[in-house]
Amino acid sequence: MPESSIIRAISVIVVMLVVGFGWFPIGFSRLKKKGVEEEAARKQAKLDAKKYSILGAFFYMIFMLSLVRLFL
Amino acid sequence: MKMMYGMLMALTPAVIWSVYAFGPQALVRVLAGVIAAVAAEAIFQKLTRQKVTVKDGSAAVTGMLLGMAVSISTPWYAVSVSAIFGIIAGKQLLGGFGKNLFNPAMYGRLFYLFVFPDSILPWRQPFDLSTAATPLEILRETGEAAGVPILDMFLGRIPGTIGEISSLMLLLGFSLLVYRKFVRWRIPAAAFSVVLVMALAVGHNPLFYFFAGSLMVGACFMATDPMSSPRFPKGQLIFGAGVGFIIMMMRWFGWQTPGAYEFTEGTTFAVLAMNLTVPYLNKKFKPAPKK
Repeated sequence: MPESSIIRAISVIVVMLVVGFGWFPIGFSRLKKKGVEEEAARKQAKLDAKKYSILGAFFYMIFMLSLVRLFL
Repeated sequence: MKMMYGMLMALTPAVIWSVYAFGPQALVRVLAGVIAAVAAEAIFQKLTRQKVTVKDGSAAVTGMLLGMAVSISTPWYAVSVSAIFGIIAGKQLLGGFGKNLFNPAMYGRLFYLFVFPDSILPWRQPFDLSTAATPLEILRETGEAAGVPILDMFLGRIPGTIGEISSLMLLLGFSLLVYRKFVRWRIPAAAFSVVLVMALAVGHNPLFYFFAGSLMVGACFMATDPMSSPRFPKGQLIFGAGVGFIIMMMRWFGWQTPGAYEFTEGTTFAVLAMNLTVPYLNKKFKPAPKK
C-alpha cells in the first residue's frame, strides 16, 4: 500500500476520533443540563458522537477531494 | 434477508459479464470486497459481543457493490480496505443493519476515492485491456455526447468500473428485483426522468447518459438501499430526482484538477449527499394516518 494512501487513511481515522471524542463531553453535558438521567445521557451522547464522527469524516473527505486536494 | 440474497443474484449478471470482458481479475476484485466486508462485519460483531449477522447477506451486498465500483486497474487490497471502512464506519459504528446514516458501499467508495485516488486509472477497454477513455471522459473533453456507439455502451463494450459497463446485464438484474418487489422503483424512475429532461434540455442523446458511467448501477442498486433511502413514495421521488440532478451536474461541471484524477462521474457524491436528506424526507412526507 503506498505511503500516501496510509497517511490519507490515518487522517480520516484521526478526524473521526477528534470529532467523536470532542463531541462526547459536549453532548453529555448538554443532555445532563436538560435533565436527562446520567446513564441515558451517556448512551445518547456516545451515539451522537459516533454519528458526528461519521459525518465529520464524510465532510472531511469531500472537502479534501473537492476544494483542497492537499494530498493529491 | 431474502431481499439481500435477491440483490446478490441481481448483481451477478453484471459481474459475470465483467469477468467475461476483463478476465478473472474482475472476479478477484469483487471477491476481495465481499470477503473483506463479511469478515469485517463478523469480527466487529464478535469483538463488540453482538450477534453475528453476516448470514443476512447485507455485508456481502456492500462488498459486492464496492468491488463492482472500482476499475480493473485497482489493486485488490484497495477494495478490501475500503470495504472494511465502509462496513465498520458506515454501518457497524451506529449499530448495524438498519441504523446506518449512509449507504455503506458508497461510504466505502468515498474512502476509496480519497485514499486511493489514482488507483482507478488507467481505464481499460474490455476484452483487449488496452488503455482507453471512458464515454464520460470523452464527453468532458469534447463537450459532446457522441462518438461512442450507444449499442456498445448498452452491451458493455466500453471502459468503466467492473460493475457499470453493461447496462443490459444491470437491467436484467434490476428487472428481477422489480419482479420480486425487492426495490423502491420510484428512486431510479425519478433519477432517470431528471437525467432524461436535463439531457434533452441541452440537446444531447439521453441514452448516452443512461448507459455511460455508473448511473445505472447507482440509481438501480445503490440509491435504492432500503436502509439509507426514504420510506415513503413522495420522499423517494425527491430522493431519486436529487440523485439524478447531482449526477448530471457532476458529469458536466465535476471537479477538475490538472494532473490529478478528474471526477467525470458523481454517483458516489450524489447518493451520499441525498442520504443526508433521508431523515428530513421521511419526516416531511410521512403519510397521514388513515381515519
